[in-house]
Amino acid sequence: MAKKTYDLLFKLLLIGDSGVGKTCILFRFSDDAFTTTFISTIGIDFKIKTVELGGKKIKLQIWDTAGQERFHTITTSYYRGAMGIMLVYDITNEKSFENIVKWLRNIDEHANEDVEKMILGNKCDMSDKRTVSKERGETIAREHGIRFMETSAKANINIERAFSELAGAILEKTAGREPGDPADRVYVDRRQQPSTTKSCCN
Amino acid sequence: MAYRARLKEFDDILNQDVIDLNSLRKLSFQGIPDDQGKRAKCWRLLLNYLPLEKEKWDTQLEKKRALYKQFIEEMVVMPGEKESNGDVTMGDHPLSINPESEWSTFFKDNEVLLQIDKDVRRLCPDISFFQQPTEFPCLEIVNSNDIKRLHTRVQRRVLNCANVERKGLGITKIALSVKKACEDYAPMAEGKEAHWEVVERILFLYAKLNPGQGYVQGMNEIIGPIYHAFASDPDILFREHAESDSFFCFTNLMSEIRDFFIKSLDETDHGINKMMNRMLVQLKNSDMDVWLRFQQLELKPQYYSFRWITLLLSQEFPLPDVLRIWDSLFSDESRFDFLIYVCCGMIVILRNQLLSGDFPSNLKLLQNFPPMDVQDIISKAVELSKQKIF
Repeated sequence: MAKKTYDLLFKLLLIGDSGVGKTCILFRFSDDAFTTTFISTIGIDFKIKTVELGGKKIKLQIWDTAGQERFHTITTSYYRGAMGIMLVYDITNEKSFENIVKWLRNIDEHANEDVEKMILGNKCDMSDKRTVSKERGETIAREHGIRFMETSAKANINIERAFSELAGAILEKTAGREPGDPADRVYVDRRQQPSTTKSCCN
Repeated sequence: MAYRARLKEFDDILNQDVIDLNSLRKLSFQGIPDDQGKRAKCWRLLLNYLPLEKEKWDTQLEKKRALYKQFIEEMVVMPGEKESNGDVTMGDHPLSINPESEWSTFFKDNEVLLQIDKDVRRLCPDISFFQQPTEFPCLEIVNSNDIKRLHTRVQRRVLNCANVERKGLGITKIALSVKKACEDYAPMAEGKEAHWEVVERILFLYAKLNPGQGYVQGMNEIIGPIYHAFASDPDILFREHAESDSFFCFTNLMSEIRDFFIKSLDETDHGINKMMNRMLVQLKNSDMDVWLRFQQLELKPQYYSFRWITLLLSQEFPLPDVLRIWDSLFSDESRFDFLIYVCCGMIVILRNQLLSGDFPSNLKLLQNFPPMDVQDIISKAVELSKQKIF
């Protein structure tokens, strides 16, 4: 049987409209490479990467989901077990940004209440095709009290950082649940301090 | 020699005036030779596109191909003309809220098209076939400046703004930003179109003709191998009609598997959940140890077999292997029972690794099936299907 080679296991989920680059983000993170020739994800894909954070080995189990509506019944069943969710849109695709609200509602409906969320505006290398400004991304993230970053899987911008920040936030939470072990607490530097009040979307 | 003999066996069946479907199934089940367009020929029969009576073939082909031409005319050419003419009349205009508005249909179509466009550009990236130009482009579309090609209908247009640079005294440089992202699947020049554009049109027409179902991701993976087989037919008389013929074969095939693609039918008799359950039951019968291990690990069939079944395994293997597997699947009298056995066979073949692996390594293995001789998998599947009798 495989030996336990890690201290903690975090389950992460990538969601967002089809074609925004979820698979590419994950591929950049897990294999440090980029390709434009990905077949569309059908159902759910799965990757693992072990990272070190605060002196702990953390195994990230990352689920990559299909974006299209048809697959939602299959994919929403994974929300429950997820400790962190990355919600991706494409900065060159207005519609994918508008749908963020829909995806957030999905999370509210299906995920654990205390799941850590993060919004990623991907393809930020394609500035000549940008239709969603960074400010709009920041605003929606602030409104919902969620972390936000612009990323590019192609140019390798913020990919590593996004995952380690999300993992860091989960770690902080997990550590917080273990009283008497304050040494485990890790200070995570958050550039955009999210507002503490979680606003309800209605 | 054995290969020659096999070819002859096929010829013997295909040369009959009335094709003996049972013999054809039996033979095709063992794999159809890649040569002489045999596969395309057999698939046309196995997928009920051509009737068994040979004398009816010409009329059937003529009728269907003419019908397809008409679909293109009505659903691609005419709307394309309208848009490019910017036909703004009192009755109908782009901002019309009338549900009957042709413009509103046009915009709705474009949403479907946008999804198809994303997917056909991602079809079989490991081979260059789909990026190559077809010998037989749709002439009405590629030779006219006025008609919009489907993919240009969903091209995102960005307004360019000029960069004004001032240098020193009074010299003003105005530069128009023309930086363009390079496209791997760049559209072809006037008069040409790539195979992926043809596939895009097939899927678009299918979605238009089946509005209840529309286009669902993964359908591109179903049409891909069929179109590939038809468009590589050495017989030019068939090759030039690869588009329409594969459209109808795809439609027939979809009529059998479309429930996999419809969310509201997940729980029904032909829905995907039922299929995954059947696979799991079969696995329990075939290999209790692996089944138990999966139970222990809570490795659910949705995690891996959802894609296997929905796409008839087309994403799990390289194209030549997919074609080979499909020969057997299409020859299955009770389609798609054999698919269940192939899926189980794939698992059983990996049993040693699966029994010792943990959840993540097993799932990775199943989602990225290791390269192996596809014949071994088929043989295993046949073995499992025979076990069932006892």
